[in-house]
Amino acid sequence: MGAYIFTRCWQGMIAIIGAVLIVFIAQRLAGDPLALLLPMDATEADFAAMRAELGLDKPIWIQFANFIGSVAVGDFGYSYQWQTPAMDLILDRLPATLELALAGLVFAILLAVPLGVLSALHQDSWIDRVAKIFAMLGQAVPNFWIGLLLILFFAVSLQWFPAYGRGTVGHLVLPAIALGWYPVAAMTRTLRSAMLDILQSDYIRMARAIGLSERAIIWKYALRNGAVPLATMIGVYFANMLGGAFVVEVVFAWPGVGRTVVEAVFARDFPVVQAGVVLSAVVFVVVNLMVDLSYGLIDPRIRRER
Amino acid sequence: MILLRGLLGTALLCAVFSSHANESTVTIAFAAEATQVDPTRTTAGVDAYFMDLFFERLLATDPQLERINWLAEDWEIHPVGKGVRIDVKIREGVRFHNGDLLSAHDFRFAYERQKDPTSGVSSRIRYVTDVVVHDDHHLSMHLSQPDGAIIVQNLDIWAMPKRYFETVGEEGFQKHPVGTGPWKFVSRKPRDELVVERFEEYWNPDAAPGFERLIIKIIPEDTTRVAAFKTGAVDWMDAVPPAQVAAFEALPNTRVASLQAPNNLFLNLNAIDSGSPFRDQRVRLAVAHAVDYDAIIKYILFGQGVRTAQLAPGSIGFDPELKPHPYDPDKARELLVEAGYPAGITINCYNLTTPREPYIKEVGETIYAYLAEVGIRCRIVQMEYGAWINLGRFSTRPWMDGLQSTMWGQGLPGDPTDAWGGHLHTNGQGWGTYSYHSDPELDVMIEQLRRLIDDEPRAALIRQIAHLKHQRAAGGIPTYRPVLAFAWRDSIDFKPWPGAFWRSMRQIGPCPTRTCPIHKTGGTP
Repeated sequence: MGAYIFTRCWQGMIAIIGAVLIVFIAQRLAGDPLALLLPMDATEADFAAMRAELGLDKPIWIQFANFIGSVAVGDFGYSYQWQTPAMDLILDRLPATLELALAGLVFAILLAVPLGVLSALHQDSWIDRVAKIFAMLGQAVPNFWIGLLLILFFAVSLQWFPAYGRGTVGHLVLPAIALGWYPVAAMTRTLRSAMLDILQSDYIRMARAIGLSERAIIWKYALRNGAVPLATMIGVYFANMLGGAFVVEVVFAWPGVGRTVVEAVFARDFPVVQAGVVLSAVVFVVVNLMVDLSYGLIDPRIRRER
Repeated sequence: MILLRGLLGTALLCAVFSSHANESTVTIAFAAEATQVDPTRTTAGVDAYFMDLFFERLLATDPQLERINWLAEDWEIHPVGKGVRIDVKIREGVRFHNGDLLSAHDFRFAYERQKDPTSGVSSRIRYVTDVVVHDDHHLSMHLSQPDGAIIVQNLDIWAMPKRYFETVGEEGFQKHPVGTGPWKFVSRKPRDELVVERFEEYWNPDAAPGFERLIIKIIPEDTTRVAAFKTGAVDWMDAVPPAQVAAFEALPNTRVASLQAPNNLFLNLNAIDSGSPFRDQRVRLAVAHAVDYDAIIKYILFGQGVRTAQLAPGSIGFDPELKPHPYDPDKARELLVEAGYPAGITINCYNLTTPREPYIKEVGETIYAYLAEVGIRCRIVQMEYGAWINLGRFSTRPWMDGLQSTMWGQGLPGDPTDAWGGHLHTNGQGWGTYSYHSDPELDVMIEQLRRLIDDEPRAALIRQIAHLKHQRAAGGIPTYRPVLAFAWRDSIDFKPWPGAFWRSMRQIGPCPTRTCPIHKTGGTP
């Protein structure tokens, strides 16, 4: 098990270094940040001074070496726009994004698990069809549109929840639904398919033969095995939510990392983009590692194989 | 749908009556957020949104767009050789938020910070060679040549607390800015909110806020900002979407003001490349006659725009006699034929997709469709802001080789000195940073304009340049000036000041009678 974790960590490091390299090169290819940082009447002398100040006058390989050296000690430099340490900007917003992604994930699981199980138990019935349609809606409708509809109904019309911002649990409900509805369809389908296979397997027939209750068979034996592919999806979707919450963050004025990084991309604020991407890569790797490890907890056979 | 509308309507009516503004606190919503609060480091217009709360200059512009003495009690200009000296008497008894008294040394400190080439804004005081402090309340600004632009910019040096800054450093100052302005910093959560308190020792009680506390929420998405206003979560909002201005005006207990933006929108044409058809004045004029801007303002901007010939009403040197080129597609076609392009031309047309101004992408696309109707066919290149601004800058490569829908701020009140120096004057030696035009006669006039200090001759020369620029379709074709709409509850008395592009929260207070008027300003179209 220890060797396995070590290998996965090592692979994760390679993935993070790859992300660092790609973001560094892609940012430079995207264009010069100086025209965005200086007023329109700035002279060539102003440009030269600012270029030197930011270290952008040096050859790109020196910039990269300096960058790697700084990143190694956790220093991503100062934001060009905000004039504050780039990593501080990202870390300040990370709790908000984690909170939103977790809430979205909880919403998705709370919806997908019962829908998947019910669909499998009532295959091709009206329950199955309704569950499919409901789940598909989340995937078919863009989350910004879902977000706007939720605001109109539940904030403006019914006034049940706040329309924007972060603070109370009430603030979290609408953005969590907008973010979490998308993976429900895929999770439901995966769980349904796994449950259908499992419910026809020999050990379930044996369980029924020895007289175990249907409730115990489904929730204790079938669902536990069906949860292995679901766990993989949960990991992937959680990581996607962390990195892809930008649209929902904008719609609900949620002060998260995604919004900050995307705005930094448009502003060519290299340090903030680099800090944001590296942090996202680290989170992505850690989450996937945790998912891998969770297989062993769900299914002891996997633990023994390792 | 009917049910939905009914529900929404009922909820909105309930919401507009449930104002959250009280005697002490008001919560407002901005669509965008300042990133910088240090006035000697700010470069983007949006930075003024917060800066204007905390910081002040020697002069100010009042709601009627008149220049008035502010932290300067008095000032005089004296010619000195080829340059000038501006003697300033600093107002006494003005305090910073931390209690320090304002002195001339604070302006000298701000000058040194701004003059630093890495400040990004040193070009704004490019002709200021020194600021000499005589005593705590007297200083002199020395300029290598007369500079009309710095006068228009209210002498462009800010009151920065030297002692405080040296104590807390740059990072500390960013975290907790201190100025002499009407609001004191309390807390900030970037991308979320800024909380400020009324500065009780503010030197000018006649221009102070009525509320004790102001909470500024940052809500970039239009629908969400509108929802926040309609649900009563905020009591004042900027950037009412043009499509909803009429609906807001119909809301009960709501005030709406539409005020001119400082941005001048125009079509920049490459008139310097040897093969460019825009070197021919007739082709440029064909572009000017080909587009029906009145229709664009009416149908795309929902009336939230002011058609401009060269300058907007209220601008220095505005000439009401100078009318925009009329929409005349036949004339445009004739001009193309006269210029030797009977089959028309095909060019690259660069369009901004980032919504820096409302519906800017759609306006650009419509303009290009109009141009196609007269034979100016566009290969439309859509660009986000970073790429678009790089392309417009003359010294970058690849450069703008066709036509670009673009903009340049002219301030409030509108003064074209910087803008014309940037996109009309031939590129070189600090001029024409975004210029794809070269006209030696106009170059001389623009340089002369920069050196003129007195308002009257400046206005006369501006009118003269505007007429020539108009006749020659030089340095770009003006289109319209956007109009900004603001909404607030009638429980609030809001008097817009032009600082921060009318977002100045200087005079905002309770209106217990709920009958406070919409104050007329120099920015009313």
